[in-house]
Amino acid sequence: MAEALVLDSEALNAIANWSERGALASRSRAILALAMQRGSRVRVPAPVLAEVCRGPKFDAAINHALKARGIVVEDLTEAIARRAGAILSRGKLASAHAIDAFVVATAAEYSTAVIATGDISDFATLITPYKHIRLFGI
Amino acid sequence: MGLPAAKLSISLPGDLAAEIRRRVGSRGVSGFVARAVAHELEREQLGAFLAEMERELGPIPKEALAAAKRAWPKR
Repeated sequence: MAEALVLDSEALNAIANWSERGALASRSRAILALAMQRGSRVRVPAPVLAEVCRGPKFDAAINHALKARGIVVEDLTEAIARRAGAILSRGKLASAHAIDAFVVATAAEYSTAVIATGDISDFATLITPYKHIRLFGI
Repeated sequence: MGLPAAKLSISLPGDLAAEIRRRVGSRGVSGFVARAVAHELEREQLGAFLAEMERELGPIPKEALAAAKRAWPKR
């Protein structure tokens, strides 16, 4: 499958609240611009919404960012969920890391992918088996 | 669930149509065209979003662009 930029919750928050996020917004804009240049998809794994949709005060900006802005929520399929389980198992990680594992499992669906994240260290272990996935810290 | 599928009558250059059929077969043409249109629409929407942010915040700082390019080298 094609190439994708996959956003974690911090990256999505920085993009959704771009007018008040300073440096985070600059780096998020930069990786979005690169995705645009490369013709890559921009995807938000559905489980990420569980971390960012925390009531009307927060949801408005997220809804705005996901409405006709070329940033698409990717549904959680059985195959992605099973792969996330395997990723957690391989890394000997607890279910507390499940959403990060869903992000990696979604990125693994693409031929190449970059995960934009607020915390690279959270993902470094999880992506180990996937040479076609890279990380970008926002 | 989205809206039900809409039947459209569109015209494509003959060689383009032949290439699509060669790759996906006659029955796969609608799916192929739908994916291509969705991708193009996403690109246009993303471009408009980036332009909206640039109008408000100015150009993307060079350092941020350089960092993004280092993280995601050319194919």
